[in-house]
Amino acid sequence: MSEALKLGQKVPEIEMETYDPVQNGFGKFRLQDQLDRKRWTILFFYPADFTFV
Amino acid sequence: MGCDIVTVSTDTKFVHLAWQRSEKELAQVRFPMAADPTGTVSRMFGVYDEKTGLALRGTFILNPEGVLLNSEVNFYNLGRNIEELLRKFKANLYLAKKTSEVCPSKWKEEGDKTLTPSPEMVGKVHEALAG
Repeated sequence: MSEALKLGQKVPEIEMETYDPVQNGFGKFRLQDQLDRKRWTILFFYPADFTFV
Repeated sequence: MGCDIVTVSTDTKFVHLAWQRSEKELAQVRFPMAADPTGTVSRMFGVYDEKTGLALRGTFILNPEGVLLNSEVNFYNLGRNIEELLRKFKANLYLAKKTSEVCPSKWKEEGDKTLTPSPEMVGKVHEALAG
């Protein structure tokens, strides 16, 4: 996608590898899982690990 | 809280693990930390900085249908106010139930003054907020 998403647009499928401190292991985030479970999602971007958030 | 928070940076999941386990400030972290090393997702949301390969401080709220409802982006040197994020999230939940109402800037939680736009309110927003 060349142009960034705008408000009101449906977000295309997202899949990212994760580290989950609760599970104490690696996993995957899939937006489709959120839709299937009817859950709200907050995506919180930050520049880099080992810096302030 | 009724939603799932996922943090995203261009670091790998291995670095996320190392950071979370070494930084005491992150001992209580309860959300998954996602890896976007290619910048694909960061670009999708317009927060990828091509010069540095890093993601700017962007926060995005998606409803259960996957529609993007709010965005806030700060440059590297400004942190975010979590109270304002919570306010926006609560407002989204409320507005999903009350589709004819709108939440003004001072709205903080359910029970606070909302507005219901109508022909009568045109030019009378001041009176409607006071009423």
